[in-house]
Amino acid sequence: MAQLLNEIEWDAPLVPPVVVPEWETEAKQRFGGSSDYLRRVAPVPWLREACASWVLCPITELPLRLADLMFLVVSQENACRYCYGAARAHMRMLGYSERVIGQIEREIQLAELDEKDQAFIRFCRNLARSNPRPARAQRDELMRLGFSPLQIKEAAFLIVAHCFSNRVASFLALPPVVTYERLGRSFLGRLLRPILVTANRRSVPVPANFVAPEGAPFARVTGALAGLPAAYLLDRTLNGAFDSPILSRRIKALMFGVIARMLECSFCQPESRKLLRSEGFNDEEVDASLASLSSPKLDARESAILSWVRETVRYQPSQIQKRTRALSEAIGPQAMLEAVGVAALANSTVRVAMLLE
Amino acid sequence: MTPPALLWLLILAAFLGLLVFVLRQRRQIHQIERLLDDTHGRLERLQLHFARFAPEDVVERLTEPSGDLIASRRMVTVLFADLKGFTAMCDRLDPELVLQILNGYFREMSQAVTAHHGRVTEFIGDGLLALFGALEPNPWQAQDAVLGALTMREALARYNVTLRERSLPELEVGIGIHRGELLAGVMGNEELSKFGVVGDTINVASRVERLTRELAADLLITEEVRSQLDSRFRLRAMPAVTVKGKPEPLKTYQVDGVSMTAQPA
Repeated sequence: MAQLLNEIEWDAPLVPPVVVPEWETEAKQRFGGSSDYLRRVAPVPWLREACASWVLCPITELPLRLADLMFLVVSQENACRYCYGAARAHMRMLGYSERVIGQIEREIQLAELDEKDQAFIRFCRNLARSNPRPARAQRDELMRLGFSPLQIKEAAFLIVAHCFSNRVASFLALPPVVTYERLGRSFLGRLLRPILVTANRRSVPVPANFVAPEGAPFARVTGALAGLPAAYLLDRTLNGAFDSPILSRRIKALMFGVIARMLECSFCQPESRKLLRSEGFNDEEVDASLASLSSPKLDARESAILSWVRETVRYQPSQIQKRTRALSEAIGPQAMLEAVGVAALANSTVRVAMLLE
Repeated sequence: MTPPALLWLLILAAFLGLLVFVLRQRRQIHQIERLLDDTHGRLERLQLHFARFAPEDVVERLTEPSGDLIASRRMVTVLFADLKGFTAMCDRLDPELVLQILNGYFREMSQAVTAHHGRVTEFIGDGLLALFGALEPNPWQAQDAVLGALTMREALARYNVTLRERSLPELEVGIGIHRGELLAGVMGNEELSKFGVVGDTINVASRVERLTRELAADLLITEEVRSQLDSRFRLRAMPAVTVKGKPEPLKTYQVDGVSMTAQPA
């Protein structure tokens, strides 16, 4: 159930900001600079790259107004204090009044939105929540209301991109950017509105017609986003995550398997099995590992991750933050950071795979 | 008073009247907005609390204008726990003390269940009913229920130490776990309704709990639960017993413990 901003319990940050010189230089060139958020995930290269680029994915199909609404709705649905506060400030800067924001937050029926917008917001909430993931009928309803298939695919990716950021920020209990939140309500914020909105809406250059090579992890899911810049971003992040040496490929494949099982995804379950086979697991071992959330093939660190990952599908921020802190104590901060990234990525990949159903 | 002065006075009076009217209206609008905000807040909190007792989708559907509810069949693991000899204890002890002991017991047991993704849905006298996988899909529900029961066993041992220190009688529990399909939905009438589950699985779990007395065991599971567990769980087969409503004798297993290290498949 969606909570309001002041109702979210939030712990102290799990990781400190880290200045990685080469990243600082690169971030300055590509994104105009790093941020407190990016510095806290900087020790894991693929994760900092994904955190920086996913939210800057060029929006080519959807009206920007709907993308802004989505940012607020998804952050609220995921009870991410960090992103939700930022989304509210962003909406204020766009000129939405507190009253309208409050209506959107509380009940979509009360918001002054038409049927199309309401259906879109319902889709955002349902995909973010995924209890269960939206069925094909909901996509058909969006098409009936005038959304094109490509717009629905782009919406699905943008929703899971926010889910990704929300999870990373929530699991690590990143401190809310209170100065930015205050700016949204201040006179200065209103004065600087055009500049801030333009800055918030900048995007990174991404190839639009990317096709994932056969054999790439979860290539079918990436394929579902064909024709959108999102396909390239998802593929690059999946490859980065699976190639990273911090955690083994087998535990990453198992993490995807657990989340696919929990969200009952008929496409991602066989895909994780395929990855596990290439890591030396036979079918019986895959079944046993996923059924018991343990495996004799895993070391103590990996076993701790496997029993933690199921908690990342549906969670209360304060509870998952406690569990993630315990995980960090058991496996070390860098491994925990990568585990957080992989869990967030798996949750997003499996959610977007509903486009294949 | 000259006519122009009277006219000005009338205009001023009309203006003041209009001003008062506008200010009143504004105040009223503010009051209504505050009331609306307060009502929204209450509704939100109510939804949040209600979500502890019913699945999110059910709560959402209940708050929608149509309010239609569809019952669904779900695979659920049911845990029944009952205190042994508690009724006799009630007769001996001060009622307030009995309630204190019972509430402490329920608190400890509920925490153990919640820690393993279960929900205590009912306290029936000194018994409790917990469901795993009823409110949201849970592919590990059988394992969770058994781990929850083992945690209950440990929590009770700790609770008994505190009772012993206060020279109070110790508690003994019997736990029965069964898994099967149940019908889930909001049941009742316009005056009284609740989200609940019905089906034979509940009856079987209750009967398995009662078997703990007959078989001198504290934690029994059925074959349906055993088939979902891996080799880490230490189980002991118990003699099959005929129970009410079942044509075949019921096969159960006592759970002795679990090793948290994975065994080779």
